[in-house]
Amino acid sequence: MSGNCTRTSGRPLSTQHSVLSTSGYPDESMTIRDHIRFTINGREKSVGGRAAFLTLANYLREQGATGTKVVCAEGDCGACSVLVRHGSGDFMVVNSCIQSLLQLDGCSIVTVEGIADGDSLHPVQQSMIDHYGSQCGYCTPGFVVAMAGLTEAGQPLDEQAVKDGLTGNLCRCTGYEPIVKAALATNAAAAPRLRDRYPGIEDDHRSVLIEADGRAFFAPISLGEAIRFKRDHATATILQGGTDVGVWVNKRDFNAPAMLSLAKINELGEISFEESRIVVGANVSLTEFEAAVRDTIPELHGILRIFGSPQIKNAGTLVGNIANGSPIADTLPYLFVAGAELELAGAGGIRRVPVERFYRGYKTFDLNPDEIITRVVVPVVTTKADRVLRLYKVSRRTDLDISAFTAAILLRVDEGRIAAAKIAYGGVAPVVMRMPKLEAFLAGKRLEPETFEEAGAIARGEVSPISDVRGSREYRLQLCENILQKFYFDAFTEPVPIEIAGFRVGQAFQPVPDGPAGKPVLHQGRP
Amino acid sequence: MTAVERKIPHDSAREHVTGEAVYVDDMPPSRGELIVDFLWSPVAHGRIRRLDVEPARNIAGVVALFTHGDLAHNRFGPSQIQDELLIAEDEVRFIGQPVVVIAAENREAVRAAKAAIRLDIDPLPPVFTIDEAKARRDFIGPVRKIARGDVATAFAHAEHVLQGVFKTGGVDQFYLESQAAIAWPGEKGALTVHSSTQNPTEVQDVVAHLLGLPAHKVVVITKRLGGGFGGKECQATHPAAMAALVAHKLKRPARIAYSKDDDMRVTGGRHPFQNDYRVAFTSEGIITAVKVDLYSDGGAFADLSQAVMARAMTHTDNAYWIPNIEITGTVCRTNFPPNTAFRGFGGPQGVSTMENMIEEISLFLHKDPLEIRMRNCYGIEERNTTPYGQIVANNQLPRLMRDIGERADFRRRTAAVADFNAKSKTHLRGIACSAVKFGISFNTKFLNQANALVNVYLDGTVQVSTGATEMGQGVNTKIKQVVAAELGIDAGLVIVMATSTEKNNNTSATAASSGADMNGSAAADACRRIRARLVEVAARELAARTEDLQPSPSTIAIANGMAFDRRRPQHGIAWRDLVRAAYLQRVSLGERGFYATAGLDWNAEKSSGSPFLYFTNGCAVSEVLIDRFTGSARVLRSDLLMDIGKSINPGIDRGQITGAFFQGLGWLTNEEKRYAPTGELLTYSPTTYKVPNIQDLPQVFNVDWIENDTNTLNLRSSKAVGEPPLLLAISVYCAIKNALSFVSGSEIPKIDAPCTGEEILMRLTEYARKNARKPQESAASA
Ligand SMILES: Cc1cc2nc3c(=O)[nH]c(=O)nc-3n(C[C@H](O)[C@H](O)[C@H](O)COP(=O)(O)OP(=O)(O)OC[C@H]3O[C@@H](n4cnc5c(N)ncnc54)[C@H](O)[C@@H]3O)c2cc1C
Ligand code: FES
Ligand code: FES
Repeated sequence: MSGNCTRTSGRPLSTQHSVLSTSGYPDESMTIRDHIRFTINGREKSVGGRAAFLTLANYLREQGATGTKVVCAEGDCGACSVLVRHGSGDFMVVNSCIQSLLQLDGCSIVTVEGIADGDSLHPVQQSMIDHYGSQCGYCTPGFVVAMAGLTEAGQPLDEQAVKDGLTGNLCRCTGYEPIVKAALATNAAAAPRLRDRYPGIEDDHRSVLIEADGRAFFAPISLGEAIRFKRDHATATILQGGTDVGVWVNKRDFNAPAMLSLAKINELGEISFEESRIVVGANVSLTEFEAAVRDTIPELHGILRIFGSPQIKNAGTLVGNIANGSPIADTLPYLFVAGAELELAGAGGIRRVPVERFYRGYKTFDLNPDEIITRVVVPVVTTKADRVLRLYKVSRRTDLDISAFTAAILLRVDEGRIAAAKIAYGGVAPVVMRMPKLEAFLAGKRLEPETFEEAGAIARGEVSPISDVRGSREYRLQLCENILQKFYFDAFTEPVPIEIAGFRVGQAFQPVPDGPAGKPVLHQGRP
Repeated sequence: MTAVERKIPHDSAREHVTGEAVYVDDMPPSRGELIVDFLWSPVAHGRIRRLDVEPARNIAGVVALFTHGDLAHNRFGPSQIQDELLIAEDEVRFIGQPVVVIAAENREAVRAAKAAIRLDIDPLPPVFTIDEAKARRDFIGPVRKIARGDVATAFAHAEHVLQGVFKTGGVDQFYLESQAAIAWPGEKGALTVHSSTQNPTEVQDVVAHLLGLPAHKVVVITKRLGGGFGGKECQATHPAAMAALVAHKLKRPARIAYSKDDDMRVTGGRHPFQNDYRVAFTSEGIITAVKVDLYSDGGAFADLSQAVMARAMTHTDNAYWIPNIEITGTVCRTNFPPNTAFRGFGGPQGVSTMENMIEEISLFLHKDPLEIRMRNCYGIEERNTTPYGQIVANNQLPRLMRDIGERADFRRRTAAVADFNAKSKTHLRGIACSAVKFGISFNTKFLNQANALVNVYLDGTVQVSTGATEMGQGVNTKIKQVVAAELGIDAGLVIVMATSTEKNNNTSATAASSGADMNGSAAADACRRIRARLVEVAARELAARTEDLQPSPSTIAIANGMAFDRRRPQHGIAWRDLVRAAYLQRVSLGERGFYATAGLDWNAEKSSGSPFLYFTNGCAVSEVLIDRFTGSARVLRSDLLMDIGKSINPGIDRGQITGAFFQGLGWLTNEEKRYAPTGELLTYSPTTYKVPNIQDLPQVFNVDWIENDTNTLNLRSSKAVGEPPLLLAISVYCAIKNALSFVSGSEIPKIDAPCTGEEILMRLTEYARKNARKPQESAASA
């Protein structure tokens, strides 16, 4: 199928196989730059050498732009949020604490200092003032930036859009309610468009190679160059969105001697729909992927909706999620049961590996030192007449949290019986795992609650999770068991409706704005 | 129009939203500035066998390394128990305790120095739980007791008795701005310290004491904090003292800014409590006796643990009159960082213990929990003395309880919840109410004083300085409003200055919700005196300008920026001209105000007296939804109703209510400190430590307060609002307990806070197993 999506190539995969042979190497002196170029609040910057290895947040603060705050330095609080626009794309909010300057070649960046136009405040700023959206103010720059980003589309915001848009920002003072009100009271249609004030940077189609202190960073414009670099630097770390790598840099003193970015290889930014599958290039962000599966794979969309935060999804990629290889990577259970495949490109050419077979153990992969993951082929699998799919993520906090447990359950059903089952669990072993005993048990069983209760015991026996900071072994074992019953009720029974003060739970609810004078008017009338 | 009782924006709102607001670590580095950090003990309890800093000395960029011997004094503490050491000597008592202070040119050098210093520690047996400390009788300070009536007899004759252990966990303040300070050396050995502290005077005292300086040589300045919540009440002294040590010794500016991870690891948080309770009651739900033994985990040093315990003890009665009651309070010593102030300051731990008992009584008797609360509520004329002897005056609690029941439609929704739970196989709902009566004032009497400096300039603009620190709570905005209202001018003419020990000496911490009450009152005192002088001037000026008018100060009014004689209101003199005239007549245009809260008396040894000026009250109803299979819970609806007197700034007060409620929510639901067996904190960043997120807002969230203008004891009949609403989140805990009661069979469900999804799932599983064995009707269906 083909659907609407930000970037559609339509190019069949088969024509793209001749990586090393045809792309050729243009004269390097013509095409290689030793610095990166970007703009900050419209001012042009070029940075090379040692400074290019700084995080954007540290760079900004060293430059005296201290409106951008660093709190956690690991993408989990949003205090460091800035807007970034690649080329002529839209402004997207990202965490500047885990963005390396290296990733920002050709970007236009807007910080909190650039949101107001001189003395004239942006409507979100005025609204935050009017609605007491700031108390201590430390989170406020991040919120203002994220909110300004939300208004860029010029569309009115509803409560759910506001909450989803601000999930990546923590505030310890306000209880968020004043911030939600501030966002809802902003007239997005009347907000000035930052993309008009801060134009994008034109791409000069040159590769970037920066070396300093024995470290090298290479961002070629062709896949051929990338593979050659990877062949010559087997230990090179590929830097994609950096939402994993950036955290290691800040928190584990990670210091790769060689880093490779694929960001300038345009073809890897493509996402294409083919017959019942979606082909996702290595540069495709999780946000783009989320949009692509909204209508095609709603179950997966539900998982992506609660994946990290907008900041994380705007920077992070599907390929990064797969290549990082965490047993609690949220996209993996689906990719396992749907039978997704990876396209790997190396000096020897291209090969395909099923995602499921890519993992050999904790963070060890079927990936040669010279190989790069170029694409993911994601089959479209969704609930249909004879097929039921459910995906689960259990975490301490529902939003912006790493999973304690994940599951994908896919059943083929036939006249009240289970014809076949495919089940993958995450968070219960060093890698995401298929559950063969459980699948075998379920095959042929009747679709009734008892089946799933009994299956729970099988599931429990099939795994041996560990206790860690996200949950005890017993908790995880219980989830392995319970998720099957939850699945049964979710998939085959009607939920009992919940009504709260006239609001159906799950439906967005609009607070009444403040009254004219004195005390704010409340959601429900005052006597 | 007066400047108070109005929604004027937060004083710094514009600077917040533009990023202009400067916090300590945003200040540009000054010439020669050094970075300060410290090597800490990686062992929870042990004896230092060897400490060798020499290998670190030659590292490029390392400028100096200091140990305890470099301090004039090492021992200090915010209470009389001066048991704390800034830098460990021979024994280490918690992971995170400073051992070596490092001064360096850059971060890489700091890192290298930490790696190079050799620190060998012989481990000693650590204490990590309240039970262990109790077994060893390792307590901090004396065990205190509040008692009234005859508890033994009341229990002996009780119709029903329930008992148990109620636990609440430790939480991190998680202010977004981590601890930070910058120290500048000055002439004559003086120091200027910029500190993100709630208590500049204490920073001044501690720095002066540890460095052997007289107090007048240390100036501490606090522009604003990126959140404090108690965490910077006395633990801001440590980083400030380390920066001051470096600046003092090396005569170079020195900056320290903890990373969030380090901050969470080395500073203390809210005290975990583990309380033994027993409650006797009649079949009608009237409580006849309560016996509660409160135990807190104080950590390694005393810090404020005794005062926190005193507040827990004086809040265990909460909103209820209990004829026979005995409350003891014991602070246990463990090998964790010293626990410290955190919004509520023990109040939440005391109140939740009582609310849990009431919830259990209602479950036991199958009676409406709001009704039980009303039956036991403090009376207006009688049954209105607390166990420690203070009269609950101006009591709005009965009204709040009645109103919240109606507003939240409590009874109808209780029935709807039961109906849903009978039908739904996938989810459980729970609904509950809770109340709070929170005493305002520091329990320590002498802390209830404040001073303020008000300067009026020749153009009519005004500067105010007080000891209050602005940390988001809006104290500067309120003080600005009060000053403008007292002087009869527009709030735009008033600026509240950075807090500085140079302008306001010997001030108390901005804490105990009383920052605006006390500092606002001191500022009002100064304004009244300036105003009195200006009234004299105005009387003379107006008389001189108006025919047939004799000077008459008693008929002069200053309002809306004009002074006029009420007898001839058409002739006015503009504020600015009045100020100018006063100056020309050599009348002082500056004043220092003072305020000491009247009528307080508290005997700490006996735990009795009237420690509070008044009580701030509230009630809440919350409803939760729990996934039966995963244990995940969310709040569907919360209704909060408070009595906060006459609000000086309704917009700011509302934000205090919503924000405090959310902090309480985190404390009781998802915020959990998990430790390795070594005592090392594992949840030291927001990746693993989960404070509430925007998506955790209740689906329906009603926040309101009643009209009450009778609190004339306090500044402009207002009431403090910073801490009390935090305790309204106890309604969420009770709602979770209520939900569990639908599956716990005949037993009363027990759950420790925080009620994480894991904790809830474990309880659900336990009850499912038990009830599968002996099926019977659910306790709550009756
Ligand atoms: C605050 C926060 C929240 C998060 N929330 C979630 C969540 O909810 N669920 C979840 O699953 N994850 C989450 N993550 C983890 C992370 O965001 C994801 O794993 C993300 O998909 C990584 O993508 P990236 O492009 O940023 O990868 P990067 O950090 O750039 O790279 C990750 C790894 O993949 C390797 N790699 C990248 N591209 C390639 C390639 N083409 N070929 C071979 N190897 C490659 C890199 O070398 C590196 O080892 C979160 C992270 C943070 C910081
Ligand atoms: S500082 Fe927390 S997300 Fe960047
Ligand atoms: S205003 Fe203080 S953290 Fe949001």
